[in-house]
Amino acid sequence: MMNKNVVLIIMLICLILLGGFFSLTSGSWPITALNVLKIIFFKLGLYSGEINDVESTIVWDGRLPRFLVALLVGFSLGGAGTIMQGIFKNPMASPGVMGIDSGAALGAVLAIYTGFASGSLIALPLSAIIFSLLTLFMVFAIATSGGRTSISTLLLAGIALNLVFGALTSFIITLSTREFDVGRVIVNWLMGDLNNRSWEHVNIVFPTTIIALLGTLFFVKDLNLLMLGEETAANLGVNIKSARNGLLLFSSIETGGAIAVSGVIGFVGLVAPHIMRSLVGPDNRKLIFSSGLLAAVFIIYADLFVRLIIAVDLKIGIITSMLGGPFFLYLIVKHRKRFEYM
Amino acid sequence: MFKNISLTVIFLICCFVSFAAFAFERDAHPTQTPLDMDGLRNDLSCVRSGAQPLGSWPREISYTFKIYDFKNDSFKEEKKTWMIKKKPLRIIPHAVGVAEILWAICPRERLVGFNEFSADPDSSFIADEVQKKGPIFKSKQTELVIGFRPDLVFTVFYSGADFKEKLNQAHIPYFDLGYFGTIESIKDQILLIGTIIGEENNAQALVKLIDKKIGELQSKLPRRARAIRVLYYDEGGYVPGISSNFNSICRIIGAVNVGAEQGIKSWSQIDYETLLKWNPDIIIVPARSRLKEQLTSNRILSHARAIKNNAVYYVPGVYLRVDSQFMVLSANLLAGIIYRQPG
Repeated sequence: MMNKNVVLIIMLICLILLGGFFSLTSGSWPITALNVLKIIFFKLGLYSGEINDVESTIVWDGRLPRFLVALLVGFSLGGAGTIMQGIFKNPMASPGVMGIDSGAALGAVLAIYTGFASGSLIALPLSAIIFSLLTLFMVFAIATSGGRTSISTLLLAGIALNLVFGALTSFIITLSTREFDVGRVIVNWLMGDLNNRSWEHVNIVFPTTIIALLGTLFFVKDLNLLMLGEETAANLGVNIKSARNGLLLFSSIETGGAIAVSGVIGFVGLVAPHIMRSLVGPDNRKLIFSSGLLAAVFIIYADLFVRLIIAVDLKIGIITSMLGGPFFLYLIVKHRKRFEYM
Repeated sequence: MFKNISLTVIFLICCFVSFAAFAFERDAHPTQTPLDMDGLRNDLSCVRSGAQPLGSWPREISYTFKIYDFKNDSFKEEKKTWMIKKKPLRIIPHAVGVAEILWAICPRERLVGFNEFSADPDSSFIADEVQKKGPIFKSKQTELVIGFRPDLVFTVFYSGADFKEKLNQAHIPYFDLGYFGTIESIKDQILLIGTIIGEENNAQALVKLIDKKIGELQSKLPRRARAIRVLYYDEGGYVPGISSNFNSICRIIGAVNVGAEQGIKSWSQIDYETLLKWNPDIIIVPARSRLKEQLTSNRILSHARAIKNNAVYYVPGVYLRVDSQFMVLSANLLAGIIYRQPG
């Protein structure tokens, strides 16, 4: 009989493939499912018949990159959320806890406001990634003293930088209201937006996801042991400093890469690990991968919802926050007794 | 040491943000237009019809207050009356469009303050003149507005409620103007403003001038079997629809605003696939962007007619946001752009 976890993973992959099918066959330009398949096979060198040039460009250069970006962003945020919750041993931890979100947002907003983002498709993501890495460096610099990094100081520094970067972002939004179009682009980006994503965006988020995933896998056993407590982990041979810093670095790369191409998408990194923890258990070797898949399912279907079902301009970040917010409240209510005694 | 580096980085970011506040707008290319742009601009900037009627004060103003309800994408109309005790001699406009109208029809010594957007060349056609005349206040500087001791402030339906409340508390009369998005509504507002400030003849002369210039402009446009389809696309992928200024500008010059044609009411975001499907003849993009380069290098849009014909043009935002008599100027510029197209 097949393992329960394997069935779960297969189900998630099926959901992603189904979402992919809908993403590729749906849009304002009517293209039949058969033609979509022909185009995909043609591009992969598995079909040599005739394909429509316009349809091919729409599917291959428009719909497919958008789907892949949704998939990779979801996977990154889910994985990063799992790592953060593991390291901080806190169910409320999420990729944004260290201020990476705010740093990336500030970088992106600056790029839009100064016009740097208009110059090239990669300018905005690049700026977001640079600022997210800068944030990571600053948080570590603040929390490190005498070669030791304090977890609680990391959290506090993250909160402080969240506030500072949030304020600077608000300041730029205020300035941008002079230029209506620019203000609207900034607000859109802060709500999460997968409109008009292309292969350039895939080329940004794909390497960050892969690098972070491989790096995380290298430390995943250590993460399991870290969750038992630092002293226990150290006794079991874990190099606490390198494991923790490595995991934080890779989760930040994941978060930075995801936010750089999608804007700020909240709550997915918080919710997905929780749901999967109750289904596959606390073993991070399974949890990181399955949380990533579930988060990808969230983002793919949220994007489909935004694109196809809602006529008004609803943003993907709003959908995820509307679903994640109530879940967050549920967590607070469920664990409030535990919090009272902390 | 790390802390010092961190603080330095924060400081540098703050400096970068401050510098960003002074970012420049991209220059637009000069365009051959049906009417001379400078002459038209001068004509629309100052209209005097000789002696004004003395009129009677106080006077009761009856008017239709029309606003655009952004929540429901629909217009709302309401019949209203408003009483003004005496002829206003110290007037402050709280929006660019109103300032531009007043600049044309009201003796300028009666204008005692302008908001910052009226002095901003990105938003106002009278920015240079306003900067010279002043004084200028920021939209939230209510105390400064009160300090100018106006006897009438023209607010607009989207002016802040807190601003209006402060004026109430200071016993400064204000008049709330409604929708300005079409040339017809702009003409209605000009006549209304003229009546309120006792410059009816100037207001009527400005409306006549608008009609005359539109007639001149339209007479110079080439006759075409099929109207040119124009789409305005901004950096967020937003497209203006039926209630937008852009739609009114297009209607003046006999062009089709593709956003309105496709049923968009105010503004809506579209993706490249939809843009390709709508396939406009011409795409207009805001000058402060590099959207032309982005659109022309996009693989999906390489099949679009406007891209194939290299018909993507920058237009400065001030022409696209216009909500005064200068809409004729915008129409003239857009006509210059779209009718130089072959076929």
